[in-house]
Amino acid sequence: MDGALKELDRVEKLASNASLKGKSPSINDSLDSLLQSLREVKGRLHAGTATAETFSVLAKTVDSRKKDVDERQKEVYNSLGKVGKALDKKFLIPLPSYDPLFVSAEATGALDRTIALHFLRTGQFHTAEAFIETILQEADVNIDPKLHSHFVDLHHIMSALREQNVQPALEWANRNREFLTSRSSPLEFLLVKSQYIHLLLGSQPPDIRSAIAYARRYFPSFSSQHAHEISRLMTCVLFLSHLSASPYSEYASSDQHSELGSMFAKEFCASLGMSRQVPLRAVGDIGGGGALARIEKGRKIMRERKSEWSRTDELPIEIPLPPENRYHSIFACPVSKEQSTESNPPMMMGCGHVITKDSLQKLSKPGGRVKCPYCPVESQISAALRVHF
Amino acid sequence: MSSSKLNIEGIMLFEQPFARVPCENYRKVFRTSQKNIERDLGTVQAAASDLAKRGILSSSGGEDDAIAAVDGMISRVENLKRKLTDLNVSAGQPTLAVMRERLVHLSAVENMQSTRDPDFARWADTRLDRWLVDWALRHGRERTARMITHERGVERLVDIELFSDIRRIEEALKRQSCSEALAWCSENKIALRKLKEYIELARARRNLDAIAYAKKHLLSWQDTHLAQIRQATALLAFSPTTNCAPYKRLYNPERWDDLIKAFRLAIYNLNTLPTEPLLHLAMYAGLASLKLPACYDKDTKNIDCPACDASLGKLAEEVPFSHHVNSTIVCRISGKIMDEDNAPMAFPTNGEVYSKEALEEMAAKNDGYVICPRSGEKCKYTSLRRVYIS
Repeated sequence: MDGALKELDRVEKLASNASLKGKSPSINDSLDSLLQSLREVKGRLHAGTATAETFSVLAKTVDSRKKDVDERQKEVYNSLGKVGKALDKKFLIPLPSYDPLFVSAEATGALDRTIALHFLRTGQFHTAEAFIETILQEADVNIDPKLHSHFVDLHHIMSALREQNVQPALEWANRNREFLTSRSSPLEFLLVKSQYIHLLLGSQPPDIRSAIAYARRYFPSFSSQHAHEISRLMTCVLFLSHLSASPYSEYASSDQHSELGSMFAKEFCASLGMSRQVPLRAVGDIGGGGALARIEKGRKIMRERKSEWSRTDELPIEIPLPPENRYHSIFACPVSKEQSTESNPPMMMGCGHVITKDSLQKLSKPGGRVKCPYCPVESQISAALRVHF
Repeated sequence: MSSSKLNIEGIMLFEQPFARVPCENYRKVFRTSQKNIERDLGTVQAAASDLAKRGILSSSGGEDDAIAAVDGMISRVENLKRKLTDLNVSAGQPTLAVMRERLVHLSAVENMQSTRDPDFARWADTRLDRWLVDWALRHGRERTARMITHERGVERLVDIELFSDIRRIEEALKRQSCSEALAWCSENKIALRKLKEYIELARARRNLDAIAYAKKHLLSWQDTHLAQIRQATALLAFSPTTNCAPYKRLYNPERWDDLIKAFRLAIYNLNTLPTEPLLHLAMYAGLASLKLPACYDKDTKNIDCPACDASLGKLAEEVPFSHHVNSTIVCRISGKIMDEDNAPMAFPTNGEVYSKEALEEMAAKNDGYVICPRSGEKCKYTSLRRVYIS
């Protein structure tokens, strides 16, 4: 974008009233100078000193000022063209044109719903309210009104967390202790810990007494699961004067607290049966982060080779995904390269290597034995275990 | 495979209209200024050369005439100066500021390294806001678009005016009135000619009730559209209830819908806007990258997977499945990808596989026993079998 920005600098300068070295004068200057010439002529006319020559000089002056103005305009026009050219270089391929997507009544309803939830989830409550009102007028879209208040709670708690106030988050964690335990989530302990550290380090000089009192009151219920961490937290008090240089330096960093925020949001959404990431963002980031470009490239190659996708309901190429966007296990048989299915499931041989059932049958030897293609071990086909990922 | 490096080329694929729309807007401002300059300075030029030629001073009262002429020129130039300044303040500078802000916005992402960069997270949030505004505007939900814009402070990054112009013109066309669209066409004549958009003609053809109108508007297009104009003129000879096929077609009210479509295509093309909302394109590609048969099986659904969501899954029905040549095994307990360092382990009887880390953690809390959350199988951690995925 640097090229385009540089050209934009020129357009901005040329369009301004600045006079530029080696360039024609600004339009404002040209017009001012023209006005001055005109006023001089007028003055002479009043004084009676004007001659026929005055007018022919004036005509020439007007011509040359107009030329200056045109020149400056041309320079602006050319620079604008150069901005366009710099952008041409950046944007080599246009966006593809697809047949209209998501137009069926069902699809538009699903999209409206997704977007309404997105506004709620990202805390854009005013937009969400207005949007939900609009879509309710147009169609019958079912959005649980309770969700609204849930998300208002979430954003209330989150903004408190950002201000180092864990109290609202702790109250929520208390109410949802059963749920958190079922997910073996350490959230509640981490909140208590954060509060303890905040009491310890939040004031200068450190308020050790109230921190210890807090620890006495709240830590015991976590002692079975987090005994080690609790003892570290209690010991760190001894190092307060030089905490960041001590073995307990991690407590001095603010990273832990910021991670707490995302962990809280994740648990909160999970308790509502919602995903840990904002789904529309996740999908948009994948699509807008290279997937569309790759799909289009794949399509282009297919067209050039004049071959069709062998399966129109599957992409012709693999789109790489970052680990945080891998949600399902995929087993591709190392022998047949086929993906496992319900009728051709993954089977683990005696040696622990996994291939699909069809491949296993093909490799079978007399006596129901099979030799693993990846290691020297031979085992019984009947002993192979169907695995579930 | 699992790189978090930013794919700039893939990101930029979406950003062409974002960068182009303000450039096109500035061109429009420039054309207006050019038109004013040509008209006003042209008049002044003509007046000056007229003065020089006429030898006005020799005639009686010539001096007064000359003063009046010079006064006229002065007020023309002053007027032009004022108009140009107003134009620059009200349209020129703001448009350039929009151009700058957008180019800076794009150049910021060019300099980011990783999708894990917190700056990128903010950038992507803004991008989604922009896409939602684009989506809302294209679906006639201007109020929503304005609210997002306001709540997120992205005024300079979205094109509300462009779309409200489009909407205004389209609504006029729906009322079977062409004047708004014609005004737009004449503003963008040069660009349109280049694009070989014949839509102005298509539009003008409707107004055949007045021959004078036809003369005025159609004549200038006769070079390129002679045949259509002939046909249109002949239409006057037919009544609207005609059965003569080509003329009946011209009277068909559905042509207004075609006209709206043609107009929309022309203005989108001019601004390099895709015909589909950017959000739809991103969702098409994003959902196709994620969609698996597993998303539609209640036993294998994952609450964290966007494509497994009921609403998004509905939309995903319109896109192809993702394609995979390599295995990726994701732990159903921790959600982590299993590999050499976090190996897959199988329960000995039922064959459910989970990551070593998750099972170790479970065993540490349960005196060395692990319980499969799916089948309920219980065994000692040590009787789990290590699984090898090649």
